[in-house]
Amino acid sequence: MSFVPKKQAYNAHVNAVTLGTGDKATVIGGQNVLPFYTFDAPIENAPKIGIEISDAATEWTAPGLKQFYEGCTTMADFAKKAETMEGADFLCLHFESADPNGANRSVEDCVADAKAVAEAVSLPIVIMGCKNMEKDGELFGKIAEALQGKNILVMSAKSEDYKTVGASVALAYGQKVGAETADDINLAKQLNIMLKGLSINPENIVMNIGTAAVGYGFEYVASTLDRVRAAALAQSDEDLQMPIIAPVSTDTWSVKESVATAEDVPEWGDQEERAIGMEVSTAAANLTGGADAVIMRHPAAVATIKKFITELV
Amino acid sequence: MSRVIFEIEGAQPVNVECNPGDNLLELARRANVAIDAPCSGNGSCGKCRVKLLEGELESIKSRHITDEEYEVGWRLSCNSKVIGDVTVFVPDIASAYQSRMKTADLSSGKEVAIFQELQENLKQAGICFENQFRALDLSMSQPSLDDTMPDNERLTRAIQEAAGVEHVHIPFAVMLKMASTLRENNFHVCVKGQLFEDRFACMDICPAEDQKLVGCAIDIGTTTVTMVLVDLTSGEILAKGSSGNGQIRYGADVINRIIEQGRPGGKKKLQDAIVKETLNPIIVNLCKGIGLNARSIVRMCIGANTTMNHLLLGVDAESVRMEPYIPSFFSWEGLLAGDLHLPAHPLAPVSIAPNIGSYVGGDITAGTLASLIWNKDEMSLFIDLGTNGEIVFGNRDFLMSCACSAGPAFEGGDISCGMRATDGAIEACTIDKDTMEPTLTIVGDPGQKSVGICGSGIIDIISELFRCGIINAKGLFVREGERVLRDRHGSGRYVLAFANESETGREISINEVDIDNFIRAKGAIFSAIDVLLQSVDMTVEMIDRVYVAGGIGSGINMANAVNIGMFPDVDLEKFSYIGNSSLTGAYAMTVSDAAWDKCSEVAANITYLELSTYPGYMDSFVAACFLPHTDARLFPSSRQEL
Repeated sequence: MSFVPKKQAYNAHVNAVTLGTGDKATVIGGQNVLPFYTFDAPIENAPKIGIEISDAATEWTAPGLKQFYEGCTTMADFAKKAETMEGADFLCLHFESADPNGANRSVEDCVADAKAVAEAVSLPIVIMGCKNMEKDGELFGKIAEALQGKNILVMSAKSEDYKTVGASVALAYGQKVGAETADDINLAKQLNIMLKGLSINPENIVMNIGTAAVGYGFEYVASTLDRVRAAALAQSDEDLQMPIIAPVSTDTWSVKESVATAEDVPEWGDQEERAIGMEVSTAAANLTGGADAVIMRHPAAVATIKKFITELV
Repeated sequence: MSRVIFEIEGAQPVNVECNPGDNLLELARRANVAIDAPCSGNGSCGKCRVKLLEGELESIKSRHITDEEYEVGWRLSCNSKVIGDVTVFVPDIASAYQSRMKTADLSSGKEVAIFQELQENLKQAGICFENQFRALDLSMSQPSLDDTMPDNERLTRAIQEAAGVEHVHIPFAVMLKMASTLRENNFHVCVKGQLFEDRFACMDICPAEDQKLVGCAIDIGTTTVTMVLVDLTSGEILAKGSSGNGQIRYGADVINRIIEQGRPGGKKKLQDAIVKETLNPIIVNLCKGIGLNARSIVRMCIGANTTMNHLLLGVDAESVRMEPYIPSFFSWEGLLAGDLHLPAHPLAPVSIAPNIGSYVGGDITAGTLASLIWNKDEMSLFIDLGTNGEIVFGNRDFLMSCACSAGPAFEGGDISCGMRATDGAIEACTIDKDTMEPTLTIVGDPGQKSVGICGSGIIDIISELFRCGIINAKGLFVREGERVLRDRHGSGRYVLAFANESETGREISINEVDIDNFIRAKGAIFSAIDVLLQSVDMTVEMIDRVYVAGGIGSGINMANAVNIGMFPDVDLEKFSYIGNSSLTGAYAMTVSDAAWDKCSEVAANITYLELSTYPGYMDSFVAACFLPHTDARLFPSSRQEL
């Protein structure tokens, strides 16, 4: 008797969330099987890659990155260039300079940048803030307003500010909202429940369940990803069926493996290669764990992950 | 050198010399000035306030002190440094303890009824209420030139005859006073002692009219101490009393106390705090109240958690909090009242109800005994709500237990307007969903205005706030209204009584920090239940009975407790409140030897689960820190009306 594989597709599925509009709109999530389990059921929407563009991108020092973005000065320049990157599904605008404890760029400047990018590109847009809750609260609302109709994703609402962010981003301007929690399945679920409590449609919620660079406690991320997916699919837990987005690059480009120069640690080899290695490993780990989208920076890392996804789906 | 004068409310001032830069709270402790510091001085509880009368202190401004209070001199002693000569006012600590505590001390008729019912149930379960203490009324012939038997032989023979035993043991203390007592009473005396199978061990020789045999049952809680004096012959309760545990100033929870006892001289300090400052005054007062000579107390029985047992004995407790969490003893007999200088007969045996684990102690074994769950076929859950929450689950075939740290929230501590359930305490509350107006039930005569909130009131208020959608599942205020106010940091509170509506002229409210503290406490309790059930592969549907014990008071609204996810969502008829079961158990063991034996047997059969090493506990705890629970399927009857 020949071996007949038993297919194990689940009755439940991860919500499919569409970002952007028109031809370039992209869908994340939607599958009813574990990550890359194409032998159980076809995976309609392969995991997506977002390209991070920072308002501090001119300070990026990696030679490969500098070369790729050569001549770019404004965020819109960077965005246009990023759009051409092999494997790019969406763009992530990271407004790290808005931090009041850093460059403290004004909300107006950031909004102007976001608008300029939105006019210059056609890929869907994801917004990442500066991690200062007060500033982000204002920034997110204003950008969501300025980019109304663009169907953007704004990261992120936390349990402390979900009301402000959720209400302005999702309810007032109909954008998608990212629910950010620290690596813990219960906290992730609690935030989703509270966002739903604001009458935000679950189909408009994407989760960021917490990330780390590999080697920096990624075990927690891995087990949380595992459990969130298992709850969504095996237990049909509607409060955990939102697709997961993992901002990889912000973590991997700040750890010592990426930051230490070759002069400081010659035995580690080339700095940029190390940074790419960290980014690839972390993105691959997130995707195999259950992330439906990753946010990355380096063209070489993006190309590798794109190939990884294409070959597995 | 600087001089600090502590002006203590209701006591003599204390003068201390110190170095500039010394911490005021540390200094107070060194000088034995009692300042209430449940958090052990890390600035988080805000209870250690003192008032500057003269001089200056270098103090960090705290969120616990309002601008107006700071202006008139209130400071937190834990974050104040001495910078010169200073005089501070220290509020009365005893009343400060009492004001935030609820004790189930048999002060209400309802509690007495519960107590008596449990005793009756124990008897019906076949526990014989007899003990080995005897007061023998002995009349001997007086010695003469013809009757030359020495005193001790004369006494021994009389005891042999009266008690029907062959062997008699007369201890040194009795030898010393034998001759004079016999002669002063013309050889008609009372000998008190313990009757064993074939032996009588004397404890005391007294005038014939002093035949009183009194037992003392004590419940030593981390926060409160309660006790009863009982007639060992009739079982009648002669007196009852309670007070705060004097160790509170060394920390509100067992961990802080263990840290404190590990410091030089710490064991002595903590032992003195419980023995000299807490137990002795209560016993002396009770005896005085009923005209009893404390020497008549011939047996003591103590139900206390493992840490309290260690601190009482002055035995090192460090290993209780350190992995692998092995205490110095579970069960130990051989303690006499004289060993601790307790005001009782020095030879009175002090029985300590056996501990089961580092965090499940004799109070729980005594409580388990009283709950009778060891005698039933049905699956019962026994929950003791105190500073620590302890859970026992099982039936006559098996018993499992675990403990979790709930903090003092159930006793009204850690809550800004918390208090014990005395006059003025809000003990129940309903809120109108539309107007958001509260209807309060206040302890006391009709017309009594509110003073604070007790444990049962907090459960009601949080449950109602949640039901009305005023707070969200995380306990944050999401509706605005006349009674929802916010401080300048945006933190919300719900006003139960405005300043002009309260007894004290201060606003009575519950704020987000209070609610958060309470959600953690209830989360700790529910997750402990959850994990304990999981460990035996059972679910809440399998629970037949739930017995709730502890200081939270008889007024607890079980439906509301379920609504906020504190207790499992089972039929409300399955719940019973059994009062201070530790004291009830201790009482039974004082008057009944069979109860003591049964308790030891039950204790030996309880399997202890150490939650701190249980991998799933933290996860379960986070899931339970939500109203009612992250997994709403566990609480189908919890409701939020939006």
